[in-house]
Amino acid sequence: MTTTRTIHFTLNGEPVSAQIGTHQNLVEVLQARGLTGARESCAQGLCGCCTVLVNGMAVSACLYLAAFADGAEVRTIEQSNNGELDAVQEAFIECGAFQCGYCTPGFILMTRQLLDAHSDPSEDDIRHYLSGNLCRCAAYPEIIKAVKLAAQKRQDKS
Amino acid sequence: MSPFELDEPRTLRKAVALLDAGTACDEPVRAIAGGTALMLMMKAGVFEPARLVSLRRVEKRYAAVRVNREGALHIGAMATLSSLASSAAVKRAAPVITQTLRTLSNVRVRNVATLGGHLAHADPHMDLPPLLTALGAEVRTLSPAGERTLAVGDLYRGYFETVLADNELISEVTVPPLDGWRAAYLKVTTRAADDWPTLGIAVALQMTADTVAAARIVVSAATNTPLRLTAAEDVLRGATLDAATLARCGDAAASGVELAADAHGSSAYKRELLRVYVQRALRQIEKT
Repeated sequence: MTTTRTIHFTLNGEPVSAQIGTHQNLVEVLQARGLTGARESCAQGLCGCCTVLVNGMAVSACLYLAAFADGAEVRTIEQSNNGELDAVQEAFIECGAFQCGYCTPGFILMTRQLLDAHSDPSEDDIRHYLSGNLCRCAAYPEIIKAVKLAAQKRQDKS
Repeated sequence: MSPFELDEPRTLRKAVALLDAGTACDEPVRAIAGGTALMLMMKAGVFEPARLVSLRRVEKRYAAVRVNREGALHIGAMATLSSLASSAAVKRAAPVITQTLRTLSNVRVRNVATLGGHLAHADPHMDLPPLLTALGAEVRTLSPAGERTLAVGDLYRGYFETVLADNELISEVTVPPLDGWRAAYLKVTTRAADDWPTLGIAVALQMTADTVAAARIVVSAATNTPLRLTAAEDVLRGATLDAATLARCGDAAASGVELAADAHGSSAYKRELLRVYVQRALRQIEKT
């Protein structure tokens, strides 16, 4: 039986390779590399804490076989923007859109995806788009404010 | 999850051959497309494969979405649910599918899950099996025995069980031209808006002026498989959609079906929901 393999992928812009078990999910492989921003929480794709981008698309990394990342471009919350915060991160801080912060990486990545697709989302759009992200501190009102503020900040910058 | 062999064939025909070889020697083998549903089963230890056959590298045409000259919608089984949600062709040919996808799971799952996997998984809580049954859709399949076509309504044998052979894969889904049919799908969630459905109700009507010429009413989630409610359909045929007809249709829907009690609600409660939501679905169609 061959149940291990080497995968090659781009991680936050850097080419990397990893020795994996075919049954491992992408969160496990990222955590083993010291990237702890995506974390397995509900383990069912419902909570969004394990959100990463694969080829530019948000996925639940806890439901994503690491083997499927072979050849892909993977981005995580750790991707640095030359050490600068982006509009979404600034807005979350200014609105206090978290308490414990455990879910925040997932919310930040999903909000960027939402704003890439809809530069000026309605409150209904925001609630639908983020319905797959859970915040157990229930900072939802602040999160919605932060998404609206981030949309405004992006428009001001462009 | 325990380790398994993972094949990544380049063609659907090769994938079917690998499934056939595994099945022939009693190996726990299964196809994996997006994997969002299968991963849950493997994590829970409900399914422990010796081998998975990944479909992610098969021919790109199996992810294509197109409308043919007659207006029929052809969707490759490997099309992701996101690609359907944003497809202009889907919205033009069957806008009710676009509406249904908005509340089907969440963005990340839709980005990965495929239509073929969604149908073949045979979880009765899924949204598209009842809707595609009401729309009269068909699946095309491939196995070593060749290709065959069957109605989505004939695909399910039981709880998480299809009529497909272990070496048979869905290759394409066809939704016929609407041709005067109008449809609605209502997902009833009783705990939170994004909960798994307590009931799924799909209704499709073909109208001649104000009269119902043909009707398909399908319930899911509280039944082992999507289920046609033929007694309720009979009430509508030849009738106009007045309040008395709607009430009779709701009563007929609720009286002829066993609904499973679970954490989402008792059997009696779901029966009442069904009575009400069939009528709401009909009113929604009337308004479109």
